[in-house]
Amino acid sequence: MSEVAQSPVVLAARDLRKSYGTIEAVRGVSIEIREGETYGLLGPNGAGKTTTIAMVCGLLARDTGEVTLDGTPIDVGAVAAKAGIGYVPQELAIYPDLTARENLAFFGRLYGLGGARLKSRVAEVLALIGLAGRANDRTDTYSGGMQRRLNIGIGLLHQPRLLLLDEPTVGVDPQSRNAILESIAALGRHGMAILYTTHYMEEAERLCDRVGIIDGGLIRAEGTQQELVALMGSKDQVRLTITGDAAAAVEAVAALDGVASAGAKGAELEILVEDARGVLPRLLDTVERAGAIVRGVDVVRPDLEAVFLHLTGRALRDSAE
Amino acid sequence: MRVALLIALKDLKQRLRDRSALLVSVVAPLGLALIFSSLLAGTTGFHAEYVVADLDGGGLARVLRQDVIGSLVEADIAVVTDVATESEARAAVEAGGTSAAFIIPAGFTLAIQSGQPVTIEIVGAKGSDLGTEIARSLAQRFGDGVVAIQLSVATVANLADGPLDPADQGRIVGVAAAAPPPIALVDVEASLRQLSLPTYFSASMAILFLFFSAQIGLVSLFEERRQGTLGRILAGPVRPSTILLGKILGGFTLSVAAMTILVIATTALIGADWGPPVGVAAMVVGGIVAAIGISSLVVSFARTAESAGAASSAVAITLGILGGTFTPTSQAPELMSTLALATPHGWFMRGLGDMHGTGASIADGLPAVLVLLAMGLVTGGIGMLRARRLVTPR
Repeated sequence: MSEVAQSPVVLAARDLRKSYGTIEAVRGVSIEIREGETYGLLGPNGAGKTTTIAMVCGLLARDTGEVTLDGTPIDVGAVAAKAGIGYVPQELAIYPDLTARENLAFFGRLYGLGGARLKSRVAEVLALIGLAGRANDRTDTYSGGMQRRLNIGIGLLHQPRLLLLDEPTVGVDPQSRNAILESIAALGRHGMAILYTTHYMEEAERLCDRVGIIDGGLIRAEGTQQELVALMGSKDQVRLTITGDAAAAVEAVAALDGVASAGAKGAELEILVEDARGVLPRLLDTVERAGAIVRGVDVVRPDLEAVFLHLTGRALRDSAE
Repeated sequence: MRVALLIALKDLKQRLRDRSALLVSVVAPLGLALIFSSLLAGTTGFHAEYVVADLDGGGLARVLRQDVIGSLVEADIAVVTDVATESEARAAVEAGGTSAAFIIPAGFTLAIQSGQPVTIEIVGAKGSDLGTEIARSLAQRFGDGVVAIQLSVATVANLADGPLDPADQGRIVGVAAAAPPPIALVDVEASLRQLSLPTYFSASMAILFLFFSAQIGLVSLFEERRQGTLGRILAGPVRPSTILLGKILGGFTLSVAAMTILVIATTALIGADWGPPVGVAAMVVGGIVAAIGISSLVVSFARTAESAGAASSAVAITLGILGGTFTPTSQAPELMSTLALATPHGWFMRGLGDMHGTGASIADGLPAVLVLLAMGLVTGGIGMLRARRLVTPR
């Protein structure tokens, strides 16, 4: 049993449900995260990730279900218990007319930090997010990546027990994104429990100890990456790069014997098959018959993207767009 | 309370960096008070210049010149210059600078004493309607007195059944002239309870723009919601009511600072006389509470920062007009004076006026302070209840 698996449960969310009128945004989500564990909620836009996070941090009243932080119930009125949560919203939530230092100091004080402790934490976080050199500049003079890093820094300033990160790298340049992911990985190693939502498979694979695949307000499956891939059994993942009508090609190959599921992401077809070697000639022939031209063929090790395709019948990124 | 203060301080820091807040809270009202006071300087009191050509020189002509026309000089309303001839009088009017000329004809006194008709000629200058009208009124009043004297003489002569001895006739004229008028006007010094123009414009612009600075706190909630910081605060260990309190505190502090600057600056720059400091402080606090309360109620109906700002501004301007911040209600129809008392602006101006004048004290302004506080607490209470939706997790 791993070290994380033996550590105490920090977040326990059970059967969370939320509806907006007739639309069920979240339909019974349960998540458990232990100390030092990073849990990824992987799913396309509209899957229910942000609604789930908002209910977990008490920002949104849930219809049913319960949330506890270290055993203490969390809801919209649980003011004191919320101090143990750090929240990094998907959209920027910083004051553009204040400096990075002032932003950090304001939110730090809201969480009860003060004096030398506040000063040292602000300095530490500024160093961690790489903004020490621009700490006294107004944040409306920052690049998008710098603002994103500050957005994250505010959430972890008070060293919360649980850090909620809602798609923190959306709209971030690759260099800043890499820096952000490294910072988050370091936090997990320091014992913080992290709930990380994303629709980027690579981020979930890189950061998360366990991943919950969410779609349509439900967690379809959860576990370590190996456990999730194992759900696919002996299936192979075939990736075809084509020119032509991808939708028609997907429809054609999905009807073939031996094809478990198929989806498209741009000019690439993601196809799960029982036996790549046996099915591949028929696949290529069917795609050509559907009017597309095959430009490249890859048989790859199944990843979380393949798991999402396997579970939902749709490619993750196509769903996200 | 600690968190509310944090939010208020943060808001103040933002507002001080935002020049538009400073502009609305201090620069605009101060600038307008300065401009209006400068433009309308000298229009507070009527002043005229008259010339008198006394071509008679008799006793009644002297009475007209010294007692009647001379009373204008004593009241510091006019300067009166004597000239020797009618042509000099007309020339003075034609030359400009003279409001009107009184021409007392030769034989004036004798004509009156003998009951003959007589004419006092008033030559008015172009563009000096008020000055001419005052001169005409004075002459008319004197004429009314003359008619009464002539009536007295005629009555006695009729009773005597024959012409009167000139000595008796003179005595009768003296007695009639000395008789008290049947109706006497008493100066109640109403004007002493009015504010001087510099004070009026300083106070009116201050209370008008106070409504713009008072709304800043709550309107910023919409901005915080738009930029995501409200959600971030709500996700932390902060009660929604604390956020509202912080916003109100921020608006209150900004308003107190702005009003303090305005009172001091207008006193120093244009000689505004706001009144006793303690009374003024109470009136300012009352005005701020009323402004924040009404602004809160208006903002609580809005859905965006833009609609909140527009609605608050419309209400501020409307109440300002009704409350007499553009024109003193004392110069407006009775209905306007009544309507003004439905507005905090009207009570603010009235309260300041009540603390001015002979025998006035701070206590005279207390009713206005209480009304302002009541207006603010009632509207603010409803506004806060409604505004909870802006900070409540959904």
